[in-house]
Amino acid sequence: MSRFEDDLRTALRRKEPPPGFAERALARAAVERETLLERLLGLFRFPAVRWVCAAALLLMLLLGVRYQQARRARQEGEEARAKVLYALQVTGSKLQLVQQKLRQLEAERETQDSAEEDPATSGRKIL
Amino acid sequence: MRRVLFVMALVAFAAHAQDIKFPASFDKLAAKAEEVVDVTVDPAMLQIAGKFLAAQEEKEPKAAKAKDVVSGLKGIYVKSLKFAKEGEYSRADVDEIRSQLSGPGWARLVTVRDKTDDVGVYLKKEGEKVVGMAVVAAEPKELTVVNIVGPIDLEHLVALGGQFGVPNLPNLPAGQKPPAQTEKK
Repeated sequence: MSRFEDDLRTALRRKEPPPGFAERALARAAVERETLLERLLGLFRFPAVRWVCAAALLLMLLLGVRYQQARRARQEGEEARAKVLYALQVTGSKLQLVQQKLRQLEAERETQDSAEEDPATSGRKIL
Repeated sequence: MRRVLFVMALVAFAAHAQDIKFPASFDKLAAKAEEVVDVTVDPAMLQIAGKFLAAQEEKEPKAAKAKDVVSGLKGIYVKSLKFAKEGEYSRADVDEIRSQLSGPGWARLVTVRDKTDDVGVYLKKEGEKVVGMAVVAAEPKELTVVNIVGPIDLEHLVALGGQFGVPNLPNLPAGQKPPAQTEKK
């Protein structure tokens, strides 16, 4: 076994932490957390920061209301558009029915007229 | 009390806005119908729809044409009742509507009557201007009444030909001609 491997083993050997290490580490983390929160809250001591935060909140609120209004308007618009198009469609289908009937009648009249004009047919009619 | 007056005023306004007054018998018929279509597009809704159709003008050419038709309109009212079997409504029900369309201002554009169907298109005129239109279609299992209130540009309606089920109507602007009535027994 080489000396390098011995050194490595010695260096990587598990060492037990000194007594009370975990408690000390946790206590220190808690202190640091507190400090961060305190630091953040401390920012509110400055009136400018308070105003900026209030303005941002108000802006967010207004944007939210505006978004909701726009969404509702869009929804109403889509509904109105769909209603109008549907109404036009019903109207259209009924106008189509009229046109279809008129064409039918026109075709029947033309057939009748041609039958009257045709001597062979008219002869048959008389008979 | 104020609320009651407000509601009464609204009802009066709605009744005024609509050219045709649907008789009470329609509600009874609706109860018998298999399918009921009741579309009411009031002026406010038409305005909103017009804006939306205008917004889609570039994407959808037919939206532009529909916008042209609805611009200036005051209302579109559609009532259509579909029945499961024939004979659910009487001629008197249809006549109640038709009698309103023979009143002053109304002119019959065309009516087609055969063994099965009885369909009529009526125009409301103020001078030479068309300010309303009504379609009454009485089919064996279906009764439809359409009332378009407001100035209708028939050229725009013709431009809708082939779209939304509107047929190509080369003769409609010539509706200024004497109205036609065709009957086939």
